[in-house]
Amino acid sequence: MLLNFDRLGGWKWILIGITGLTAAFLILPIVFIAALSFGSSQWLIFPPPAWTLKWYEAFFADPRWLEAAGTSFSIAAMVTVLSVLIGLVASFGLVRGRFIGKEGLRALFLTPMILPVVVLAVALYAFFLRIGLNGTVTGFVIAHLVVALPFSILSITNALEGFDKSIEDAAVLCGASPLEAKLRITLPSISHGLFSAAVFSFLTSWDEVVLAIFMASPTLQTLPVKIWSTLRQDLTPVIAAASTLLIVVTIALMLLVALLRKGLKS
Amino acid sequence: MTAPFLHIRALRKDYGVVTAVRDVNLTVERGEFMTFLGPSGSGKSTTLYILAGFENPTAGDILLNGQSLIATPSHKRNIGMVFQRYTLFPHLSVGENIAFPLKVRRLPRAEVDAKVAKMLKLVRLEGFEDRKPAQMSGGQQQRVALARALAYDPPVLLMDEPLSALDKKLREEIQHEIRRIHQETEVTILYVTHDQEEALRLSDRIAVFSKGVIDQIGTGPELYANPATRFVAEFIGDSDFVTCRVLSAGSGRADLAVGTGMTISGVPMHGIGAAGSNAALMLRPERLSLKRGAIGGNSLSATVTDITFLGSNIHVAAKVPSGEALSVRLPFGHEATSGLARGDTVSLAFDPASAHVFCA
Repeated sequence: MLLNFDRLGGWKWILIGITGLTAAFLILPIVFIAALSFGSSQWLIFPPPAWTLKWYEAFFADPRWLEAAGTSFSIAAMVTVLSVLIGLVASFGLVRGRFIGKEGLRALFLTPMILPVVVLAVALYAFFLRIGLNGTVTGFVIAHLVVALPFSILSITNALEGFDKSIEDAAVLCGASPLEAKLRITLPSISHGLFSAAVFSFLTSWDEVVLAIFMASPTLQTLPVKIWSTLRQDLTPVIAAASTLLIVVTIALMLLVALLRKGLKS
Repeated sequence: MTAPFLHIRALRKDYGVVTAVRDVNLTVERGEFMTFLGPSGSGKSTTLYILAGFENPTAGDILLNGQSLIATPSHKRNIGMVFQRYTLFPHLSVGENIAFPLKVRRLPRAEVDAKVAKMLKLVRLEGFEDRKPAQMSGGQQQRVALARALAYDPPVLLMDEPLSALDKKLREEIQHEIRRIHQETEVTILYVTHDQEEALRLSDRIAVFSKGVIDQIGTGPELYANPATRFVAEFIGDSDFVTCRVLSAGSGRADLAVGTGMTISGVPMHGIGAAGSNAALMLRPERLSLKRGAIGGNSLSATVTDITFLGSNIHVAAKVPSGEALSVRLPFGHEATSGLARGDTVSLAFDPASAHVFCA
């Protein structure tokens, strides 16, 4: 091996050092915000003079925070369901279909990933202004669906390409109708792809802030929008508590994915 | 006259301007083991996929017990199939895989369980029902696939090169299993392979495919002893070809001249050869007898180019004056081989009735 870790000698420590610094760079802001959310200082002093849970109490006592969290959750849930369903249908077309312009269509489906979100947000805002969807749950779901779909299509097409169509053919010859074969054989076989699609769609919507700011109204706000607007008014440590809760949900979902992946392999 | 069990009639399949299969006519008896043999791209798999209903024919018909299958969708044809690739359902256990076609047919639980047990016994995999496909070897997976395809007692079982992913030893082992299962179940099997040895070992009859048409249908010995085309002669068994000229032809036989001075009379002729035209004389290596010295009638003069010892056989490579290579197979210890050396001039005699001449 050209680069064998055990044979690197002194270089090994440099490598470990760089890795450690990179990890710290990525993780420290999260650790910092979590620590602040338990700190007693009103002014977000670090290190915190004492520890407390009162910011979490404030969070759960304030119906506006809870409402924002609820809105975030229900929008993310709807986006997840729609994103997986549409992604599944689109993936069957992209993987199994035989038509001209297939590769072009695949690229088109993925453009929201590379398009600046703010451009997309302005465009959707202008469009929704005409049809009266700004400040509605429907508008929110459609906007988040646009950015969530590429992740869904990527994971499901990947899984479907790795699935041998002969297996579905075998089920059909066994007497299952083409639909039944897809439901009973193909879908369970690509369940890991469907699951990844669901998690990434949920997370895309859950922590999305740019589109959400454009879509939000004073009465309809997601958690990231609420954090952002509160931050502009006053610097309360409740923001740190809300941010920590946001991150906890994200980490919990990522852990779930990792665990299920491990379970699938064994 | 009763209708044949399975009748493929004037089948044709075009993909755009490419014709994959044309003029395929074939009847199969109930319980017969019929093999489609041919190189890749010869149309054998396309024919099988039309039978399975995955492809629609451009023209022609398939009749099972006198009823056309063409309009019936795959899942209602009640046909069994074992694929080239491993197609067990990865998330289901072996037992659930075999039970799948029965559950789709809404059979009662007790009947399903009994049938699964019977099928596992048939393929000798009792005790494996709770394993997942990923925990089984390739050979075991194909046996389970066979059990699954036979679980619903299909009238016809299609097998599309089911052993091509396995190594040679395992392949022979499972060929024996397939033969035994064919005898036990008396199911009609249509088997696709490009391996002539596999075809000869398994089949009652073989249909040799070449470039989208069936060149010949017959039992292994028939194809070997009496090939209808040069392609069949080349594909089944070893063969030598020597360019010759037709001297005279009539009633299916031809008199031939090879090079200068060698004449052979009364060779079975395939195709139409006018006197004076060129043709290919086909000889089987084991039908040639090697003599030293002067040349007699119905024999070729040749120069030995190589001698190879192959255990029970000795393989002599030789070339005729025109430079075309021939191989001769002689049993070990044959008197003609003692003291034989490269560069020796020999005469290769044969019975003209065992040779064939193919005219263009």
